[in-house]
Amino acid sequence: MRTLAAAPAVPAALVPTALVPAAVISEQAAQAQTPAARPAGAPVANGKRDAVGEPVARFFTQSQLSALRRLSELFMPPMNGNPGALEAHVPEFLDFYVGQSPAEHQHLYRSGLDLLNTRATKQFGKPFASLDAKQADAIIKPMMELVPWEFELPKDPAARFIAAANNEIRTATRNSQEWYAATVAAGRRPVGAQQYFFPVDPIYKG
Amino acid sequence: MPKPQFDVLIIGSGHSGGMAANILTQKGLSCLMLDAGPEVDLAKNRVTKQPWDLPFRGMNKPGRLPHVVQANEFNANQWVDEKEVPYTHDPAKPYNWVRVRFLGGRSLFWGRQSFRMSDWEFKAADIDGGGDNWPISHADLDPFYARTEAILRVSGRKEGKPHFPDGNFLDADYGPDSTTVKKITDIANARGYLVSKIRAANGRNGLASSTNLLLPDAVATGKLQIVPNAIVREITVDKNTGRANGANFVDRHSREELHVKAKVVVLAAGSLESTRLLLNSGLANSSGMLGRYVMDQLYGVQVVASVPEARGGNAPEGMMGGTALLPRFKNLKKGEKNSFIKGYGMLIASGGGPTPGYFKEYGEELQKKLDLHAGACMTASIYGERVPRYENRVTINKAVTDAWGIPVLHVDVKDTQNEYNMAKDAADTAEDMLKSAGWDILSKTDKFHPPGYSIHEVGSCRMGDNPKTSVLNKWNQSHDMKNLFVVDGGCFVTCGWQNSTLTIMALAMRASEYLADQMKSGAI
Ligand SMILES: Cc1cc2nc3c(=O)[nH]c(=O)nc-3n(C[C@H](O)[C@H](O)[C@H](O)COP(=O)(O)OP(=O)(O)OC[C@H]3O[C@@H](n4cnc5c(N)ncnc54)[C@H](O)[C@@H]3O)c2cc1C
Repeated sequence: MRTLAAAPAVPAALVPTALVPAAVISEQAAQAQTPAARPAGAPVANGKRDAVGEPVARFFTQSQLSALRRLSELFMPPMNGNPGALEAHVPEFLDFYVGQSPAEHQHLYRSGLDLLNTRATKQFGKPFASLDAKQADAIIKPMMELVPWEFELPKDPAARFIAAANNEIRTATRNSQEWYAATVAAGRRPVGAQQYFFPVDPIYKG
Repeated sequence: MPKPQFDVLIIGSGHSGGMAANILTQKGLSCLMLDAGPEVDLAKNRVTKQPWDLPFRGMNKPGRLPHVVQANEFNANQWVDEKEVPYTHDPAKPYNWVRVRFLGGRSLFWGRQSFRMSDWEFKAADIDGGGDNWPISHADLDPFYARTEAILRVSGRKEGKPHFPDGNFLDADYGPDSTTVKKITDIANARGYLVSKIRAANGRNGLASSTNLLLPDAVATGKLQIVPNAIVREITVDKNTGRANGANFVDRHSREELHVKAKVVVLAAGSLESTRLLLNSGLANSSGMLGRYVMDQLYGVQVVASVPEARGGNAPEGMMGGTALLPRFKNLKKGEKNSFIKGYGMLIASGGGPTPGYFKEYGEELQKKLDLHAGACMTASIYGERVPRYENRVTINKAVTDAWGIPVLHVDVKDTQNEYNMAKDAADTAEDMLKSAGWDILSKTDKFHPPGYSIHEVGSCRMGDNPKTSVLNKWNQSHDMKNLFVVDGGCFVTCGWQNSTLTIMALAMRASEYLADQMKSGAI
């Protein structure tokens, strides 16, 4: 396919029509007939956000994000042939998700991650991200409480953070595209699809 | 061109409004139905999606529907937007009002469990003194229940027990019980508790809604006009007669204000919304009872046990699966001593799994536990009846309006010791039964959701024979205004443990036939 590529490095739109040889104009017109065969206004976008872009974290501080990465890795390591939280970009997703959440949830995460770092520094003289599994366990386990009813997380802020983070890291991993792809590749049936209900002519942006 | 005067204006198109339209048009009355919501095409408006294909990985946009625990990112657009139509409550008294505004209302999405109420609920005051008796009994409603069951195509297992009245059921083959369900059934039976099966509306093609079971026949009579996107602001009254003569509504999109004329007004906006409309119109409240006795069921109490022989995926075929339904089994005998009045039903489901919070583990250790117990769990949950209380009420909050400038409801409802005691008794009873089967308890809670969560909010406009203590008479007709009816759950006097819809529909059918007869005889 020949285009104006051979022309000087001037954006095509800026080239006055008069400067373009007649032969090229007629060729453009001929090419334009192919797209014109589509219904006017038919959609053309064919890409997916997640397929083209790496998520960028902007909500947590660097030290909070490092702690969240380590926590994600411990809470959801790759298991049974499934990707872990890191492969599923969960820390970056949670940076976005928590960043969009009500202030209470943001505070829970920020203070929870700070607490992991404070305790790690106090007990082992280094940030949570640098702890080995045994050291990290010595920080996490004492913070955990049982949650007999999923609709009410513990009142203690540390236990509440751990319970929320465990749930969200697990769910975000299992709901990821990477998890889905691994499930399909292993010949297993993916779970988690549901009927999505479109908005019905909403009148009010809340 | 002069606009028509309809025989009946029906406000709301859910199960209750749909039933009214179905009956009234068959009786030859001309009806207009207004609904606040748009019409949806379920085939077009729904598509199967993977969670990762949604902006928040299926985890919901945080904070979008704070009162709708049932909401997730897939169904978020089903529910009334809390910013568009807010309501208020004291933060210390949470209330979860779960609303749908579409043509068909909640009938598009309901769970279809369909139980009759019994005289243990209709005549509750005689048994426990909690609340008042209804002005009707099961016998009064029986024929209407039977016809409603035929419309909904309810299936169920007959038990011959008056506290769990049988219905006009389709034949259903429940097959043999799994051995775990059989075991828990034996344990319950040995304690004198009836064990049955869930009774459910089959509807047609998996849908038992107003839009597929009730409205098509009504439209076919040529007697019904349905206008969606019509939000009724207030009921209007003829100054000369003192009777309702129609309603003002606002167009949802354009916000144009219009008035419609009718000889009779039937409210079916879904309990609290009907009450809101009456309060905003300043009608039907000579008793001072409008807005009071708001009730719904207590949900959330849960006990989970693990069956040792079923762990690690080792359950032999026929061991797990199925459910046992225990209709209310406490306080059935007058004078029975418990720490609470009224009762609760219990559902015991075989074959579930645990949630992560049951273990103080994470990562691989947690996953091992979850895998070990997956499919090996017995989960008991309850349907608890809340006590009707005068203090539990809704009022209008003039300071807050919805997106169309209509003042919103303030909800003031809280639980009392009876609810806490009932929840504790239920958790203890479930634990005791599951343990005696030889199963290990993984979790037990007597906590429960705030009022409203069950989506069976009823009351606030209750019926009764005494116009001083009730808003409606036994025909769902306003004591104050003969041509004003409320046919949704607002009329309930007690809420029962049973899901309310079957009873709402049977009452709406009965009220509509009465209304048609009254119009024919000229009494209205
Ligand atoms: C997920 C779910 C599961 C459920 N499961 C069960 C179950 O298993 N068993 C059971 O018995 N019940 C169940 N229910 C409850 C059941 O759906 C309701 O009890 C029943 O549908 C109520 O019908 P209704 O006609 O009274 O009210 P609604 O269905 O709420 O209809 C009211 C209609 O009025 C309209 N409206 C409101 N205000 C106005 C206004 N100002 N002007 C005009 N129109 C207005 C609304 O748009 C709505 O369409 C469930 C509900 C849900 C959501």
